[in-house]
Amino acid sequence: MSDLTRSDRPFEEKYKSSWSLAAESFRRFLILPLNQISFAITALLLFVALFAPWIAPFPFEQVNPSNGLDPPSWQHLMGTDQAGRDVFSRVLYGTQTSLLIGVVTVVCGMILGVFIGAVSGYFGGWVDEIVMRVVEVFMSVPGIILALALVSVLGPSLPSIILALSIRRITQFARVVRGSVLSVKSQDYITACHALGMNNLRIVFGHVLPNCLSPIIVLASVLLGNVILTESTLSFLGMGIQEPTPSWGTMIAKGNEFLTFAPWISLFPGGFLFLTMIAFNLLGDGVRDHLDPRGGSVL
Amino acid sequence: MLTTVIFRRLLLSIPTILGVATLAFVLGHLAPGDPAIAAMGLDMDGYTTIEPGELERVRRELGLDKPMLVQYGLWLGKALQGDFGRSFVTTELVAEMIFYALPSTVFLLLTTMVVASIVGIALGIISAVNQGKTGDYIARMIAIIGVSTPTFWFALVLILLFSFAIPIFPMNGSVIDHGPIAMVLPTLAIALHPAALIARMMRSSMLEVLSQDMVRTATAKGLSRQRVLLVHALRNAINPVLTVIGFQLANLMGGAVAVEYIFSIPGLGSLLIESIYEKDLLVMQGAVLVVGVAFAVTNLLVDILYLVVDPRIRL
Repeated sequence: MSDLTRSDRPFEEKYKSSWSLAAESFRRFLILPLNQISFAITALLLFVALFAPWIAPFPFEQVNPSNGLDPPSWQHLMGTDQAGRDVFSRVLYGTQTSLLIGVVTVVCGMILGVFIGAVSGYFGGWVDEIVMRVVEVFMSVPGIILALALVSVLGPSLPSIILALSIRRITQFARVVRGSVLSVKSQDYITACHALGMNNLRIVFGHVLPNCLSPIIVLASVLLGNVILTESTLSFLGMGIQEPTPSWGTMIAKGNEFLTFAPWISLFPGGFLFLTMIAFNLLGDGVRDHLDPRGGSVL
Repeated sequence: MLTTVIFRRLLLSIPTILGVATLAFVLGHLAPGDPAIAAMGLDMDGYTTIEPGELERVRRELGLDKPMLVQYGLWLGKALQGDFGRSFVTTELVAEMIFYALPSTVFLLLTTMVVASIVGIALGIISAVNQGKTGDYIARMIAIIGVSTPTFWFALVLILLFSFAIPIFPMNGSVIDHGPIAMVLPTLAIALHPAALIARMMRSSMLEVLSQDMVRTATAKGLSRQRVLLVHALRNAINPVLTVIGFQLANLMGGAVAVEYIFSIPGLGSLLIESIYEKDLLVMQGAVLVVGVAFAVTNLLVDILYLVVDPRIRL
């Protein structure tokens, strides 16, 4: 009997096999050309975000009024803004801001959302009723409006932006995880866990949640782009990252004033945002098709 | 049977609408410091400029001297009657401000939805029918570009192209000043994203239906390709698309906020942004409540429509 159960295998063997499984899954994910493209762009963005201080030709806050509104040139690849700051350098640093907010928000939303969704789905009853009603309330208010309202009352700082963006992600994760938990908890192996006398905590975290991993990963990959877009919209509307910290949304908003005679100030950060969105949307689609081939988009 | 299901769904939407109201109320009390000072559009620095009597009057008027639960009850009672108070910044009634802003937004969203639905459904059908061919790749490319394009940036690109480079459309989106032509760019800016989502859903739904036996039977009967596609396949493939359209109607408001602001359209989005800039808390509270309730109701209507259109859901 003990030979047959996974958990009784030696520690190294067990983890070696799950790592090699993940590596195999990743290798298969990269077979499709679209997945290769999205992964390459995402890796490039990550590289830019991590090494922005070394790649950027100028410091992001270096002003030079005599060079204000210079068009793109060899010295300033994407031109300069009204204060003479190098747009290219600011776009590179903006990658850092966007990815940081995107990742932190999704992770916060995931941790709390998974916990709430798991409790709600597993225990059911009045807890589930209340959680689902609250989720429905937050889903009724468009994300950007909720975020705008929250940031406006809490003040536009990095923690309040992350908090405002996380609340909706928590509800999104909670809803998806609850659905998965509901289907997993009716499986025979969970009944077996009960029969073995395991406590609820061990069943939920040791057996139910590991089997809900696919939809969680899919949602996280889809939401990453979504959060970056919402943050940019918030910044564009003046309720996100504040100057002089570089953010694509703020840069587009500032450039809006000079749109007719210095369009590069808005167009380049927007182009970068667009590229990022394409990468994350393709990545989200690829991950969904890879982990859950039955449903979702076939784009 | 259908009426019972609809009635149950109606009952279920009451807690959601009450929840949205609670959320709007809580937002009004989240601002750090004194809610009365916040409601007057002032921050703590502006506090010293108010006379103490004035502050007391505002506190009484807003019911802030009462316990929180009583405040909530009073606020909810008034809000249900459409009384959101009077703005301390503009001195106008909040309900009136929302009432005047609402038609522009509703008109913009409905026009956008019609355009997005027509384009999305057409693109989805073209893509599904030409699966794996050039038409499919082009339609899918348009869809992925549409989903990935930030609405506010696309609005700026449209202005740059069609208001400056080729001056066909006005930069200002006000229909009163420029006529219906002013709606073209804002509509296009918001429609791109939902059109792409609808196209994706239409393509996958159509592909699923096209592989069914009934399509083969219809073709075998000698019906024209057009009839098979537009009557037999489309009718069966449209249901999931209807849901996406319904959900998108609710999500469109997010895009509309930025676009109304860019094109200076005097709608609910602009009102919300202005109220945030002016720190006009009561207007913001009212706008969030109206948007939230409007979308809870939209979702309810979509659900009911879905029940009517697809009898399988009722089972």
